[in-house]
Amino acid sequence: MFNFFNEIKENLKNPKGLEFNSFNIINLSGHLLYVEGHIGLVTLSKELISFKIKGGVIIVEGSDMILSELSENTIKICGNIKKVEQI
Amino acid sequence: MRIRNLTKFHINGLNQEKILNELSKHFQLSEIDRQDKNNTLFMCSYFDSKKIEKFLKKSNIKIVSIQYDGPVYKIKNIFSSWGMICALVLFFLFFLIQYQFILQFDIQGLVRVSKSEIVEYVNKNFSRNKFDLDTKLVEIGLIENFSRISFASCIIKGQTLVINIKEKLMPEEMYGQFKPLVAKSDARINNINLISGTLKVKVGDFVQKGDVLVEPFTIDTSGNIKKVEAKAEILADIYYESSVSHSEHFIEVTRTGNVVEQNDIYLFGLKIYSFKQDIPFKMYEVEKENVKLTNNLFLPFKMQKIKIYELVENIIETTFYEVKDEYIEKARQKALENIENCDKIKEEFYNLRHQVGVTILDYCIITEENVGEYYDC
Repeated sequence: MFNFFNEIKENLKNPKGLEFNSFNIINLSGHLLYVEGHIGLVTLSKELISFKIKGGVIIVEGSDMILSELSENTIKICGNIKKVEQI
Repeated sequence: MRIRNLTKFHINGLNQEKILNELSKHFQLSEIDRQDKNNTLFMCSYFDSKKIEKFLKKSNIKIVSIQYDGPVYKIKNIFSSWGMICALVLFFLFFLIQYQFILQFDIQGLVRVSKSEIVEYVNKNFSRNKFDLDTKLVEIGLIENFSRISFASCIIKGQTLVINIKEKLMPEEMYGQFKPLVAKSDARINNINLISGTLKVKVGDFVQKGDVLVEPFTIDTSGNIKKVEAKAEILADIYYESSVSHSEHFIEVTRTGNVVEQNDIYLFGLKIYSFKQDIPFKMYEVEKENVKLTNNLFLPFKMQKIKIYELVENIIETTFYEVKDEYIEKARQKALENIENCDKIKEEFYNLRHQVGVTILDYCIITEENVGEYYDC
């Protein structure tokens, strides 16, 4: 089965030998954010959602945001997404 | 379209992120909407809802509400309601009880034997319970008790008893009712067309009502009597008569138009008020009418209206010939009233008889009809 993330990883030369197996995020037009590889929800509100990843935290800012899906390692956020930041 | 069986939880409590993280390790959560710091709505599969509810209770999270949706919940809800369970149990009980009985009969092959006779015989002599009913016995019973049946076979199909019958073949004249043909009224025989039986009258005979016209048997050359159906078309003249009388002087009573009214009011059948005027008439007639005063069922007042009409006598003098046509028509109509099944009116005439001050008009209609009917004892 076609895997979008695997295709990108295979096509990338990766000369510096970076770690690619931590997490993946896709932002669709600022209305849907799909995350693979989270390790726990930290904050949940309509304006701010943050979650842990391996080696840090991702902060998503926006308005009218809801968690459309939450499973052990995936998150789907719907709403007006303004900013995605890794700290 | 994907049919989803979802459950919506509304939870209230602190540190909900931790709870959601714990839940997400085991269950797929969706539509997580944080209302405020302490309130969150989320959805999960209906099949996980009981486990999640248990987990939340264990974690001391207050569950504000749980809403179930989807076809599985609806079906489960229907089947867990007492009314539905009772209805299903009653339905199955009723079905099981009535399934034991024969509810209808399907009788085939009948030509001369009536279906009701067979049904009556089976109902009277055999059980309706299909597990107690021996179809062999029904077959034997039908052949033994009905002389016209030569073969019978029975099977039970569902709740229907299917009876297949073959009747005995007999000559045509053996069928029918062996009753004599009698005259239905006084008549004069005009024409006879005998089909079967022994004729007892001839053309030109006068017969009275009830006289035997055809006997239901024949006598062969050896003198043996053989039963046959009495069948014949016997046309006869039947006389229908009527009379009206006319008097040259008669008294006609008419209303003058003067009326006196009296009223009585009743409650529960007791007269509670009465209004009466004196009757100033020498001759009068009374008309009574009951009227409801109210529609109130508790106090059913009723009023009886009594109207007294003044009458006057007038002596009318007419000669018969002034009103002759009117009287002839009146007498004719009176005679026609007695005719039931008129095939053909052959002749009509009238006679006048004069007595002192009175004329009697006798009217006669002669019809031609089939005069025979079966004697009904």
